[in-house]
Amino acid sequence: MTTRRKRPGQLTRLETASAYAALAIVLIFALLPVFWGLSTSLKMPLDIHRVPPSWLPPTVTLQNYATAVFDARFVGYLANTIFVVFTSLILSTTLALHAAWATVRFNFTGREGLLLLMWATIMIPGIAVIVPLYTVSVDIGIHDTLWVLIIVYSAWLVPTLVWLLRGFIAAIPAELEEAARIDGCSRIGAFWRVSVPLLKPGLLAAGVLVFVMVWNEFLIGYSLTLSDGNRMIQVGIYYFMTETGVEYGPLTAAALAAIVPIVVLYALLQRAFVQGLTGGAVKG
Amino acid sequence: MSAISKRPVRPVNLLQPYFWLAPSLVLVVAVSFWPLAYALIQSFYRSNYLDLGTFTGFSNFQRFLFSEAGLLRAWNSFVLTAGTIAIAMPLGFALALLLNLPLRGRNLIRTLLIVPWLVSNTVAALLWAWLLNAQFGPVAEMLSHMGVVMPNVLTSPTWAMAALIVCNAWGSFPLVMVFTLSALQTIPKEIREAARMDGASRWQVFSKVTFPLIRNTTLVTAVLTTLHCFNGVTIVLIMTGGGPLDATDIMALRVFEEGFKLHRMGIASAGAVIIFAINVLFTIAYMRVLKSEHSA
Repeated sequence: MTTRRKRPGQLTRLETASAYAALAIVLIFALLPVFWGLSTSLKMPLDIHRVPPSWLPPTVTLQNYATAVFDARFVGYLANTIFVVFTSLILSTTLALHAAWATVRFNFTGREGLLLLMWATIMIPGIAVIVPLYTVSVDIGIHDTLWVLIIVYSAWLVPTLVWLLRGFIAAIPAELEEAARIDGCSRIGAFWRVSVPLLKPGLLAAGVLVFVMVWNEFLIGYSLTLSDGNRMIQVGIYYFMTETGVEYGPLTAAALAAIVPIVVLYALLQRAFVQGLTGGAVKG
Repeated sequence: MSAISKRPVRPVNLLQPYFWLAPSLVLVVAVSFWPLAYALIQSFYRSNYLDLGTFTGFSNFQRFLFSEAGLLRAWNSFVLTAGTIAIAMPLGFALALLLNLPLRGRNLIRTLLIVPWLVSNTVAALLWAWLLNAQFGPVAEMLSHMGVVMPNVLTSPTWAMAALIVCNAWGSFPLVMVFTLSALQTIPKEIREAARMDGASRWQVFSKVTFPLIRNTTLVTAVLTTLHCFNGVTIVLIMTGGGPLDATDIMALRVFEEGFKLHRMGIASAGAVIIFAINVLFTIAYMRVLKSEHSA
């Protein structure tokens, strides 16, 4: 009976070993496509089409990155994406922050109903509204601009951001804002002066959610723009795939370049990242 | 609190919350509800590109769903979604249970396992297509060492759907893992240990103590994964384009093609309405389950 574990939570050696073995297999599954893409992106063109394929590049080259990522078109897609990310971030967070605050701090007729109305849009998938959005955007002349993307992305993000930020605002005692009002602030002034500085973690999570959603989005970016100058990064990668016949060297380099900013951000801001994504997972 | 709320309320204060909520509501209504209403109207018309066209009753619905190709498409949507769920849910769930054990390095492993979630659908489809490439890919090479000749997966009617399921599940399991793990971490260790002390087996602890406490989270992740897969266009568009021979043609992809390749907006809208209806039915069914859980 000496081998018997002392506490019920503890694992035997065999159990630990099998847990690690299972995790190792899943790690391979999770990372293999990315690893293979990374390896390909660092290979010479001849090595990419060598049979049998080699796991690691026989000769490491940055040629594919030079071709794909420092290409003027790709830099343009990057600039568009960064512009749309930041503009959507400012628009959607500003709207959602005030809506969240109003519905947490005020008790008013129709509050629950209006919130439900907003959250009900989570049941409306992008594919269900994309055709009318296209029709309208052509009709009113904003099709094929970055602004139509900013408007649609912001509208889709607002309900989730309201959801996310309400939790953070409710965690700040209302008394803090009331104290500032005694000192002569308006209600909104008190919110900005007292609560907004305390909302940094919430705003960070919101920022991560907006960034990931906009950066990775394809369907809207593809459907609501036409010209090369208005393409977002994912749309640009799609055109790389379809236009010139697939050249996997530059293509995997572009794909990896599209992953890197998100992975870096994730490594830096893990907590905010998970908060943002779990709050944001609601809209697919 | 009391000192302030006893001041006489001026009308401007009554209107204040509406003022701050209105911009968000206007945006949401304009970009989500209004287009949905438009799709509902357009689905009854034979549209000519941007013109609404002539009223045709249910013929668009008939062509989208109640035709031979339409039923195949619905079946494909179902197979893709069910297959994805069948892999992503148990995998994500099991990983959460494993990573909740006192293992060294589990934070690092968790961090690495989240990576597929961060990869866009566009890039995921591209990477999987390249990994499964029959000519230059490592998977085909490994299989050939075992004497198996891998077919060109994406052009084989049998294997194309399997490849789509694997790619979808790859991108979906981390969400299940993260949600389940954070639910597990809210359960105090003492509860499970006490049950073990009282002589419950591991399985009994899981089925009688742990699982009932995280059931709602499991349902939420199931719904999110289902809808994400069911509504998703990108992976199918890039990996197979619905082929070969419509073997992977799903409803969401068809809406996209009818709208943006064939410009038959009426049929696309009928498809959009059907997809929306299925989303609503699914969400309601899930809320029912949650409610019955609470009252039980």
